[in-house]
Amino acid sequence: MNQPLDGRRILVVEDESLVAMLIETILEDMGCHTIGPIAGVDEALRTVAEDLKIDGALLDVNVAGREVFPVAEALKARNVPFVFSTGYGEGGLPEHWRGQSTIQKPFTEQTIRDALMKALGVANV
Amino acid sequence: MHEIGSDIDLAAAFAASPNPYMLLTPDLRYAGMNQAYMQAVGVAKREDLIGKPIFDVFTAGDGAEAPESVRLLRASFEKVLDTGQPDHIALIRYAMPSGPDGAFEDRYWSATHTPVKNSSGELTYILQHTSDVTELELLRRQAGAAERPFVVSALDAIIGGDLLKRARIVQEDNRRLEIERSRLVEMFMQAPGFVAVLSGPNHQFQLFNEAYRRIAAYRDLKGKTVEEALPEVRDQGFIDMLDSVYQTGEPFQGRNVLVQIARPEGGAPIESYLDFIYQPIRDDSGSVVGIFVQGFDVSDAVLSAERQRLMIDELNHRVKNTLATVQSIAMQTARSHQDPQTFAESFQSRLVALSHTHDLLTRSHWEGADLRDILQHETVVHDEHRVVLNGPAVPLEPAAALSLGMIFHELATNAAKYGALAHEQGRVFIDWSVANQNDRTLTLVWREEGGPPVVVPDRRGFGTRLIERNIRHDLAGVVNLRYLTSGFTAEISFPLDRGRQFEPTA
Repeated sequence: MNQPLDGRRILVVEDESLVAMLIETILEDMGCHTIGPIAGVDEALRTVAEDLKIDGALLDVNVAGREVFPVAEALKARNVPFVFSTGYGEGGLPEHWRGQSTIQKPFTEQTIRDALMKALGVANV
Repeated sequence: MHEIGSDIDLAAAFAASPNPYMLLTPDLRYAGMNQAYMQAVGVAKREDLIGKPIFDVFTAGDGAEAPESVRLLRASFEKVLDTGQPDHIALIRYAMPSGPDGAFEDRYWSATHTPVKNSSGELTYILQHTSDVTELELLRRQAGAAERPFVVSALDAIIGGDLLKRARIVQEDNRRLEIERSRLVEMFMQAPGFVAVLSGPNHQFQLFNEAYRRIAAYRDLKGKTVEEALPEVRDQGFIDMLDSVYQTGEPFQGRNVLVQIARPEGGAPIESYLDFIYQPIRDDSGSVVGIFVQGFDVSDAVLSAERQRLMIDELNHRVKNTLATVQSIAMQTARSHQDPQTFAESFQSRLVALSHTHDLLTRSHWEGADLRDILQHETVVHDEHRVVLNGPAVPLEPAAALSLGMIFHELATNAAKYGALAHEQGRVFIDWSVANQNDRTLTLVWREEGGPPVVVPDRRGFGTRLIERNIRHDLAGVVNLRYLTSGFTAEISFPLDRGRQFEPTA
């Protein structure tokens, strides 16, 4: 199978370890390298500040009771593409982030793959 | 017509008048009085009165009627203060000190109370004009008490018989109206909702109850206009609503309307949600002269609706997260089971473990669960002599409870499959303790004994990864799994008071 995302380094911010494990497994199958998974906003901000080789990110909107948006801002400032994942409905995102690529929990391998490829601008060949 | 000019000395005229006059401040203290008043009340020195509260000086004695006399007089003063209009008492029995021995003598008075206002219309004094009508009243009473009509004199026939009788009737009417008025006012004051009466085009407070004072942050409202007392409500549209009711005569009804009242100390304003109605008050000719305001503070209802919305959002979030967790369990379990039968068994038992912890948490309304209860839940299928629990009560928050439920399930499953519980003689000892009371850390040791020979697994299965990941990632703790020849052991420790404010170290 073709692996268009092979070798990409993807930051994962997710506080539920079982969900994080699932994402990690899915990313592994896609040939991606997982940065994290990270379970907290501050830790994620440190990683974004220090790790210069982040190709993309998958951000849980609610991380341990805090919103992940500061991490999203930091990634945006560095032009790193990212996808939100959320258990809240479509209206869960504040006005500022409407239109940002978002996947709903629970997600399939396919939805993660499609969302990341679209965000990273990789054609599905 | 002659106008009173500045050439007339009003103060001198007041002092010289044969009619008794005195002035009270709005807090009912003596501000001044003329000589005739001094004589009427039998006080020689002005200094004995000036600045003193009138009811300290004249207590009406200790007779049975004294409290009623004081009440009647006070009510008249308060009516003047409230309405800004003069008030009359045709006849009041008010006992006065009669001598140096402190005895009291019944006296009857007639009084008029007139508001004195300054140039900006504020009431500064109450002017009392009083007359001692004791002699007339006593004559009238003698006449009334006689067996047959007893005419003392022509004067008495006119004054004592008829005039004073009429005065008494008017007085009785006044008293009845006064009682009715005060009952109505009392009803307003004690109403659970807020009530205010606003007068005139500028909406001046004439009456307001305790509930109204509360939503107005206990500001001074008396005699002020709404805009003077609560300037911030103009920008919130309330003055426009009042103006519109006053001008059109149409009532206005508001539902769930937010009002923000600034705090004296600054900071975020006090927010209340109100259901209210502005009802125009009309005079006899039908013109609007004021607005009757009544309503309820519905903040609690509005806030509880908001809480309910948040709870539904949170529930949705939790359900979706749980589904994602179940999905993860399914996918990872599938990877380690080629046979659909063993996959189904393993998957189901993990789901049941998750569900057990949910049950425990539901019992406490998702406040948390105790460590021992979780352990018992996951090991209940085994003989209690084979699984020995030893440790203090440790309440856990929901997230930690869910994690530990999964962890203990994996440990118990492994023990039953490969470890101490796979062997008839094998036992599991679970000991835990809490160290460091300020920054509490739970340390738990799972120790297996008497099982089959221990085999170190050649690869880390899902169960092992789940245990390690859960403890490090979700509980910010450390874990040490050891495959000793004597038996498998797991040492787990994690902070208990992390709450959700500190970051786990991933």
